[in-house]
Amino acid sequence: MDYWFLVAATLFALLGAVWGMVAVHRGRRSRWTTALMLLVLLCQLGFLGMRGEARAACPLADRGEILVFLSWSLTLFYLLVGPAYRISLLGVFTAPVVVVFQTIALMPGVLDRNPQEVLGGNGWHETHAATSVLAYGALALAAVAGVMFLVLDRQLKEQHLKSGLFRNLPPVRELLVSLERLLWMGGVLLTIGILAGFIMPHDNAALGHLIAAVAVWIGYAVLLGVKTVRGLTGRRLSLATMLLFILSLGVFAFI
Amino acid sequence: MELLCLGLNHKTAPVEVRERFAVGQGRLGETASELRSLTGVTEAVVVSTCNRTEFYLAAHAAGETLELLEIHLTEKTELHGIAAPHFYRMEKFAAARHLCRVVSGLDSMMLGETEIFGQVKQSYQAALDAGTTAGVLNRLFQRAFGIGKKVRTDTSIQEGSTSVGNVAVDLAEKIFGHLKDSEVMILGAGEMSRITAQSLVSRGARSIFVSNRSFDRAEELATEMGGSAVRFDDWQRVLERVDIVISSTGSPHAIVRREHVEQARRARKYRPLFFIDIAVPRDIDPAVGEIEEVYLYDIDTLEQLADAARAKRLKQIEQCERIIDAELAKLNLPGI
Repeated sequence: MDYWFLVAATLFALLGAVWGMVAVHRGRRSRWTTALMLLVLLCQLGFLGMRGEARAACPLADRGEILVFLSWSLTLFYLLVGPAYRISLLGVFTAPVVVVFQTIALMPGVLDRNPQEVLGGNGWHETHAATSVLAYGALALAAVAGVMFLVLDRQLKEQHLKSGLFRNLPPVRELLVSLERLLWMGGVLLTIGILAGFIMPHDNAALGHLIAAVAVWIGYAVLLGVKTVRGLTGRRLSLATMLLFILSLGVFAFI
Repeated sequence: MELLCLGLNHKTAPVEVRERFAVGQGRLGETASELRSLTGVTEAVVVSTCNRTEFYLAAHAAGETLELLEIHLTEKTELHGIAAPHFYRMEKFAAARHLCRVVSGLDSMMLGETEIFGQVKQSYQAALDAGTTAGVLNRLFQRAFGIGKKVRTDTSIQEGSTSVGNVAVDLAEKIFGHLKDSEVMILGAGEMSRITAQSLVSRGARSIFVSNRSFDRAEELATEMGGSAVRFDDWQRVLERVDIVISSTGSPHAIVRREHVEQARRARKYRPLFFIDIAVPRDIDPAVGEIEEVYLYDIDTLEQLADAARAKRLKQIEQCERIIDAELAKLNLPGI
């Protein structure tokens, strides 16, 4: 049953992405994308709820679960941030990322089809896993906002202003403000996650993961520091956010 | 009962004739009452804007009433023999169709503009308040407003900006969103700068700084716009804080060069900066546009964008008229 929740979530996200892109191509606002993303969130909650029950812990025990948790976090942040900042188009850009993550999770061998109860669970471990993945959701959405900025920046620079996409993209300043807020949100959650990671009991095998996580944290801290103190052009901020997010996915290789 | 319309507009009459027929907002109802007292007239609405004055009447015989109305108006304005060639006269379906075209912005100087919709609504309301409308004109105007809305919703007749000033303002909003948090600097206190800056202020731009070689002229424009005058030697200092620069000086060479903007970048913390260069020869070195956070648009680009929007609107006219005809055919309005 959990598997079918995931399939449904992926199909709704795919529908949201395609519907949104067609609407944007025609120069209209995609009114259905937010509703479809809400359905995605509900299906993801169904999946994670069932997996959590089976694991008797936060469902972050295999790479498939991590990817779905990450997609849930991304969807959640989109639903929280998108409408608040009037950037509904963010959903059109978020939906394909959710489709990619969940499709990978659905690939054979990625998701444990018979999840077993996690033994010897620890509160700090769960805090570490949950806040870190939530942080990744915010940081992934920041990267998505970065992609949107780069598209808009290019269109404004090259004076290609007739496309439906251009008409629907939110203003440059709004995109940059939401990108920065998402970075701060992700940064704070990541800090809590890493602190919990240090406190939880861990053996030498987790050292690589912790080092990678700290490196990612330092990367984001430097980016936010430079942006706040010195300032950064929108293009550099967006590129750095995207690059850091892609590199930060490497942390999961150490799990 | 038959519907008729007599009017003149920017296409048929020069301003010196139009202004003689113009009816002030406060006198629309009174004038409509005056027209209703003419023989055979049962209902009247007067529409008057800067580009048109039109009289919509319901009468027992449209043809005779048109003649009577024309005599009445020419006598009132003392334009015997002068006004007649500038009038258009319409009866029944043609008059209803014309009103729908007017409400939809198809008859406006700036094709597809939306202001006319509100202006006609105000005119109708004035007549309604004066009690000069009944079965024919009430139904006609209410249906015309419905058709006007449908035309705007179902077509792209109001899409895009058709003037250089509005294109610039739309671009500014695409970059900065609400302009209430944006500061503007005007280089050169010419007419084009003033018009563009006024458009920005009307959409909420917060502070205006005016810099001009003649400081008196800068002060004059700054006072008019509710902004501050800046000495021409000081504009680089102001560049550190503003978001939008409108430049229209008469200088034969570039005023804003790449090094000027490079010097201000650090202090600006690399925030987006929008340059609108409406001067010929250009005031802003094209190399400025190569700076990452700078968006530079010159007069040619702005005009091309306005032309493209105008061309797009022109293509929509046929579709709009099809909608009007189809909707009018469905309605079976009295008087047509």
